[in-house]
Amino acid sequence: MKPIKSFVLVVALLFSAAVVAEAQQFQIKTHTLKNGMKIVVEEDHSIPNVALYIFYRIGSRNERPGTTGLSHFFEHMMFNGAKKYGPKEFDRVMEAAGGSNNAYTSRDLTVYQDWFPRTALDLIFDLEADRIRDLSFDPKVIESERGVVASERRSSVDASNFGILFEQLYAAAYTAHPYQWPVVGWMVDIENWKLEDLKRHFEMGYSPSNATMVVSGDVSLEEIVKLAEKYIEPITPHDPPAKVTTKEPEQLGERRITVRKFAQLPILMMGYHVPATTDADYYPLQVLQTVLFSGQSSRMYQRLVDKDQIALFVNGGGGMTFDPTLFTISAQPKAGVQPEAVEKAIYEELDKVKATAVTDQELEKAKNILLANFYRQMKTISGKANTLGSYEVFFGDYKKLFTAADDYKKVGKEDLQRVAKKYFTEKNRTVATLIPEKPAAEQKAEK
Amino acid sequence: MLKRFSILFLVVVLMSSSASAFATTVEGLKLPPYKKVKLKNGLTVLLMEQREIPIVSFSFIVKAGSTADPAGKEGVAGLTATLIRKGTKTRTADQLSAELDFIGGQLFAGSDYDYSSGRAEFLKKDLAKGLDLLTDALLNPTFPAEEVSKLLKQSIDGAKSAKDQAGRVIGEYFAAYLYGSHPYGRPSDGDEKSLPNISREDITKFYETYYTPSNTILAVAGDFATAEMEKLLTEKFGVWTDKKAPAINLSAPTAFTGKKLLLVDKPDSTQTYFEIGNIGVARTNADRVYINVINTLFGGRFTSMLNDALRVSSGLTYGARSGFSQRKAAGPFAISTYTRNETTEKAIDLALEILKRLHEKGVSEADLKSAKNYIKGQYPPRIETSDQQAALIAELEFYGLDERDINEYYSRIDAMTQADAERVIKQYFPLDNLVFVLIGKASEIETVARKYAPKFETKSINQPGF
Repeated sequence: MKPIKSFVLVVALLFSAAVVAEAQQFQIKTHTLKNGMKIVVEEDHSIPNVALYIFYRIGSRNERPGTTGLSHFFEHMMFNGAKKYGPKEFDRVMEAAGGSNNAYTSRDLTVYQDWFPRTALDLIFDLEADRIRDLSFDPKVIESERGVVASERRSSVDASNFGILFEQLYAAAYTAHPYQWPVVGWMVDIENWKLEDLKRHFEMGYSPSNATMVVSGDVSLEEIVKLAEKYIEPITPHDPPAKVTTKEPEQLGERRITVRKFAQLPILMMGYHVPATTDADYYPLQVLQTVLFSGQSSRMYQRLVDKDQIALFVNGGGGMTFDPTLFTISAQPKAGVQPEAVEKAIYEELDKVKATAVTDQELEKAKNILLANFYRQMKTISGKANTLGSYEVFFGDYKKLFTAADDYKKVGKEDLQRVAKKYFTEKNRTVATLIPEKPAAEQKAEK
Repeated sequence: MLKRFSILFLVVVLMSSSASAFATTVEGLKLPPYKKVKLKNGLTVLLMEQREIPIVSFSFIVKAGSTADPAGKEGVAGLTATLIRKGTKTRTADQLSAELDFIGGQLFAGSDYDYSSGRAEFLKKDLAKGLDLLTDALLNPTFPAEEVSKLLKQSIDGAKSAKDQAGRVIGEYFAAYLYGSHPYGRPSDGDEKSLPNISREDITKFYETYYTPSNTILAVAGDFATAEMEKLLTEKFGVWTDKKAPAINLSAPTAFTGKKLLLVDKPDSTQTYFEIGNIGVARTNADRVYINVINTLFGGRFTSMLNDALRVSSGLTYGARSGFSQRKAAGPFAISTYTRNETTEKAIDLALEILKRLHEKGVSEADLKSAKNYIKGQYPPRIETSDQQAALIAELEFYGLDERDINEYYSRIDAMTQADAERVIKQYFPLDNLVFVLIGKASEIETVARKYAPKFETKSINQPGF
C-alpha cells in the first residue's frame, strides 16, 4: 500500500512566448488515496458545475487477438448496473440529479466523464464507487449491449469510408504491436467474446491504483478528498494490467494497401511510425505538424487545396500515446484527380521541409497557434479536466502541462528538419488508398 | 477514440446557442449584463465585459441566410460567408490567413437557414490586429474570381462526398421531402445541381444586398472595458455605409397531413438511417421551454424514452433521439436513429410505439422533475465561455429576444405543470401525420418501408440533389 501523499501547488502559467501578457492562475491540488488512486483537483468557481474525469490506464493495447474491442465494450458495461444501482439506474439517477456522462476508449485509455451541478457531488462519488467496486455481469444485459456496440461499429467504421480506410492503415502499419487492431474491435470478436473475458478484463484494468481522477469546477480539494476517502478509498487495489512488452519491429520498406468499395470519391491516407509521447521528439513533431497542417496558411493546405487545387482537404498529425504511434496524413482527392497526384504533392512538401529549414516566421506562427490552442482547451472546466488528465497519464505528471510553453519554445528550425528527415522516409511509411467502385448492379450493366 | 455516444446525439435543440458564465447558484441563472448600442449607420453592437480570461470573442449575424438564396442557386449565402476572408481590398486570401494564423486567431463564417454568421476570437494582446482582420473581412471583401471558382469546385465535390455517409445527408433529404417548395426545403449548403449555377456575380450581389450595417448584429464578449470597446468599434465600423436590405419573406410552413415515405437507395448500406417527423415550432414559440422539457424526456438525453427503448433495452442502435430545430418560422421536428438492415422494421415499429406511448401515457411527476433538474444542471456549461456568450446574445437579438430568455429560464422550467405537459404533447408532437425518410439498401428494406405510408417514393443516392 502506498503512503498518503498530498500536496498543493498553485501554478502561474506564464506564456513566456509572445502570447499572453497576463499570467493565468490555476489552483491545482493533488492527493493520493491509500489504495493508490491519484486525485487532481482544479478549483474554478465561475459556474456552479463540476467536471469529474476518471482515467483508467487500460485500452485496446492491453487486449489480445480474439477479444479485440473488449476495453471499449467494457466501457459500455460500466453503465449497465452494479450492486447498489442496478441496470439503467446509473444514468437515471445521475440525470435526475442534473448530471450527464459519457466515456471514451482509445488504444491506451478508458476515460469516464461526469458533468454535473455541484449539488450532485456526493451522489456522483456514490455512483462511481459502486461500479468500480461491484459491477454486475448480467448475461442478458451483455447480449443487448453487444448489439449496441455492433451498431456503433457499423456506423463508425462500415458506414464510413474514412473509418474503413483508417482501420486498414493501422492494420497494415503494425505487424506485432497491439495498436494494429481497431479500438472498437473486429466484428467477429464483438460477436464472440464471453462473460469470462469481461470479468478478466475488469480484474485486470479496474484497480483504483490503475486510475487517476481529475476534478475541475466548483469544488475544493478538501471536500473532494473527504468524499474520495469515504467512497473510493475502501476499494482494495490489485495488480495493474501486465506490461505491454511487444515492440513494433522497425519497418523495412514501404507498405501499400488498397480498399475498393462503393464511394463517390477516393481517399488517401498514409502513416509514418513516430515515437511515443514521452520521447524528446514529441514537441518538434507537434510543431512540424502545425507548420504543415494548421490553418489555411499552412504548407499542405496552401499546396494541395489552394494552389494545386487537387484535394478537398488535407490534415495530419499524431496524438498522445504510451507506445510508438503513427503520424498520419489524410487527404481526399477532388473529383477527377488521381490519388497518385495527391500523394506525389504530399511527398514533395515533405521533401521541402527536409531539404530546407522552415522560415523563422513559420516557426513563430506555429508556436503561437499551439499556445493559443492550448489556451482554448483551458477555457472550460471539462477542457481543463481532460487536458490535466491527459498530461498526467501520458507524461506521468500534469505539471508538464505548465512547462509546455517552454518545451515548445526550445524547439528550433533545425529540430523540425531533423525529425522530418528521420521519420518521413519511404521505408517508414504505409500508404492506404480507397478506390471507388460502382455498385454491383451498375457494374453488371456495363459488361 | 470511441465515445459511448456521439456528440451528435447530445444535441438538444432548444436554446440553440449559448453564452457565458453566469449562474451564481444552481437555482438562479443570470446572464452577465451587456450593453446594446446602435451606431449611426444602423449597426447593432452588443458589448459584454467578462474579464476572467484574456480573450476577446466576436460574433456577428447578417440577417440573411440560405432562405435568401435565389431559386436554383442554393448555396449562395454559404459561399458568400466563406469567401469574405478570401481576399479584401488590401489583402489577398493568403495574406489574411497568414496574419490570422500568426496570432493564433480564429475567424470563421458560414450560413444557416435564417442568417449568415461568423465568429472571431483573439487573445487580448492581439485585439488591434484581430479586429483589423475581422473588419476587413466584413467590410472590404473583393471575392476574387479565382477564389470563387476554387471554392465552388470544392463545394461541388464536398456535396458529392457527403453522400458517402448517410448520417451526414439524411437531414437534407428529410427537409426537402417535408418542406417541399418552402425555403426550408431547399438545401442550405446547396447541392450538385444548384452549385454549378452560381457565378461570382451572384455572390457579390448577395453581399452587396444583405451585408449592410443596419442588417447586421455584432456582439463582443470578453476581456475589455466597455467604454473603450464601444469607441473602438464605433471607429472601425462607423465608416461602413448603410443601404437598406430587403426583407426576406418567409411564409409559415404547413404541417403535412397523412403519411408519406421516401426511400433513398444507398446500395452499399449495412444500416438503415431514418428520420420521422413533421413541421415543428419557431424559435420564439411561447411554449419553447415546455417543449424542451418534454423533448428531453422523449428523445433529448441518454435515458430518454426513445434511447431507452431502441438502444438500452433492445440494442437495436447506438443512439436514438428526437429534436425540434427552432428557427424564424417553424423548423422540423424529427425522430432519428439508425439500425442494421435486418432490424429496420423492428426499429421503426418501436419508435412509433414510443411516440404513441408518449401520447397515451404522458409523463409522470417524477419524470418531469428529473427533466427539469437535468436541463438546469446541464445549462451553465453552455454559457461558460466568452465565445458562447457572444454567440448567444447575438442570436437572442436576431430573434427579437433578450436576456429575459436566460434570466427567466429556470423559473419558467420550474413553473411547468403536469397539465402543461399534457397540452404540449398533444399540441406539438405529431402522432398520425408523419413524414418518413429512410436511407438504406432498397433491395433489402423496400418491402418493409412500403408498409408505413400509402404514399411511397424512392430515389437513388446517386441522383443529384436531395
